[in-house]
Amino acid sequence: MPRTISLHPFTILAIAVAVVTLATAASQWWLSCTVIVLCMLLARWAGYLKKLAVLSGAILLPTFLSLLLIHGLISRDPSPAMAQWGPLRVTVHGLDVALSLGLRTAVLVVVGLLCGLLIDKHQLVAAIDLSPVPPQLGYLLAATLFLLPQMGDKQRQIGEAQTLRRVGTRKGITGWVQRVRLRAVPLVLASMQDAQDRAVHLSARGFPATGARTRMRTVPDSSVQRGIRWTALVCAVLGPALILALAQIGSH
Amino acid sequence: MGRKLSEQSSTIIGLNLDTYTYLDSSDAVLHDIQLDIHPGSLNVISGHSGSGKSTLGAILAGLLPRHGMDELVGSIGVGQALIEFSSSSTPRVDVAQWAKHVGLMPQDAGHYLSGIRGTVAEELAFSLENAGVPREQMQRRVADLAQKLNLEHLLERHPQRLSGGQERLVALAALAMSEPDVLVLDEPLAGLDKQATAAVSEMINLLRANGVALVVLVDSVGIWAREADELWRLNEGTLHRISVEELLQPSGQPPRKERVATDAEVLLNMDSVQLAYPGSTKPAVNNLNLQLRAGECLGLAGANGSGKTTVLKAIAGLLKPETGTMTLSGESGLLLQNSSDQLFERTVLREVSFGIPKKSALQQRVPEVLSQLGLKSFAQTHPYELPASARRLVALATVLIHEPKILLLDEPTEALDEAGEAILNEVITSVQARGGAVVLSTHDEQFMEPTADRVHHMQ
Repeated sequence: MPRTISLHPFTILAIAVAVVTLATAASQWWLSCTVIVLCMLLARWAGYLKKLAVLSGAILLPTFLSLLLIHGLISRDPSPAMAQWGPLRVTVHGLDVALSLGLRTAVLVVVGLLCGLLIDKHQLVAAIDLSPVPPQLGYLLAATLFLLPQMGDKQRQIGEAQTLRRVGTRKGITGWVQRVRLRAVPLVLASMQDAQDRAVHLSARGFPATGARTRMRTVPDSSVQRGIRWTALVCAVLGPALILALAQIGSH
Repeated sequence: MGRKLSEQSSTIIGLNLDTYTYLDSSDAVLHDIQLDIHPGSLNVISGHSGSGKSTLGAILAGLLPRHGMDELVGSIGVGQALIEFSSSSTPRVDVAQWAKHVGLMPQDAGHYLSGIRGTVAEELAFSLENAGVPREQMQRRVADLAQKLNLEHLLERHPQRLSGGQERLVALAALAMSEPDVLVLDEPLAGLDKQATAAVSEMINLLRANGVALVVLVDSVGIWAREADELWRLNEGTLHRISVEELLQPSGQPPRKERVATDAEVLLNMDSVQLAYPGSTKPAVNNLNLQLRAGECLGLAGANGSGKTTVLKAIAGLLKPETGTMTLSGESGLLLQNSSDQLFERTVLREVSFGIPKKSALQQRVPEVLSQLGLKSFAQTHPYELPASARRLVALATVLIHEPKILLLDEPTEALDEAGEAILNEVITSVQARGGAVVLSTHDEQFMEPTADRVHHMQ
């Protein structure tokens, strides 16, 4: 059973933003690796290690491969080649660039995914609802988070119905493309119909609120957390600027 | 079901409708309607699919006319206010304020729920949240309502993981949260099993006992007949009062079923079959033994979740048995429960031809099937623009075009009106007559009993 973190969702997000911006600006392999390892440890504690590893791998593996291809193998970098096969040359600088970009991307991906796993989606929506942003923003996020799985179900039902009519049953990549094409239109139409059907009842239930709105769900917060959020946001803005300024001074 | 009103009490909503015309339509869909709703009354309005019941319900609930689009001539009195509509002026209605007097539960109760709340308690509080009611007050009101409507066991459940019956209970409670004087319920019992029907009926009784007036929109009056204070039939755009006696007159002897020959060809044989959905750890159907002979109509009965749809999907080839053997002679065709998932094209004609190669002989059958189902006049209509009953028949046409040896029907009477049911009966008889067989799964016992030759009860 995964553990939950009883922090305000905005606190987790603020820390994540600070970590990503600082690690990206610093661009140090050891810092990026430390952040990734810490994220994995946190995921293990929370019971999401396998999920985080699989999801990160699915995004980062193709990313690393493409970076390696662009910077490591077909780089026009004039530095001496470590190995060469015709037009393909591997250079130290190319590998360095690929690794550096890859690690920075990895920090963004791993931290982002960990946030997605740690933050309770209903708490996040409630936090947004309780903030001064327009109520439509909270609904938009909630609809994206909660109605997308329903669209997945709908897509499966449409697929079943088309299979029954012996359509979209081809195998391989062409079959996949055919299925996507055939399912897209009914899925979009059904979703639009669904949105239209819901909209009138949302209006009848007073959404969007014209005055002050409240939430029955409580989102735990404290002055300490508010302090952490402000500090993290200041670090996220000033940290990279400071790092870049120091790097500029060092280069002169 | 509740009590009858012994005397006329004051009107809480009064509709005086001269005409109602949708945008882009020259003919009025409703006309000359006078309807007064009294506190705590049960008003049942029946009518075939497409008769305008849902339009009438939406007018009562303030959701129609759409401002600047449709035209209503007449007036509606809600509480102390009288709103006049004319061809030159359509007052803008504040639907949130209107909902405090009249609430509408759509046929698909899931559409009433926001779909974005994590618990039933939060879903019930949704309208209070939008009204800015303080948290403590909200919690108290939700707890009180849940206790009053016996809904406490559902409060912490996820709204999207409820059964069809539970979803309707939650939608009814969410409607009741605004304490409206009138609730308009569109087919509140359609497609529910016995247990869910009893639970929803009980909640409706509780609401009525608390003084809420009910307007129930149904295809056929059925179980509401004896309890209703007012019975109406919506026909040709206007309301006609009907009496219980008129409804309860015997409709003649049901047709005698012919026995299926014991030596008729076996079209389907399921032996100790176990069925499970991919990724599921628990089988949906266990140790099922079933045999179907040519000319037979088999009914599948059982509570929601007992595996009726799963069996139909397995026969249709969408699921493979995990264990046991299943042998099938001839093609099968399945009518799914939700017709909307089965329709993909922009005209009825194209819909029925969908997936059939242009040179196939089946193309010749399209007009014939459309005629058989009474859909010929709708050939160039968009399926989404059809009344629910006709849309269901279009979905049936897409199955019949392939002339399945075994016709599989999942809740076929859902959304079908009386005329649609008559057509469905003819279709079943014709499949049996040509040596095919029918398997139908339904909660509609009134349809199942005279139609099925035998009934298999799923556990």
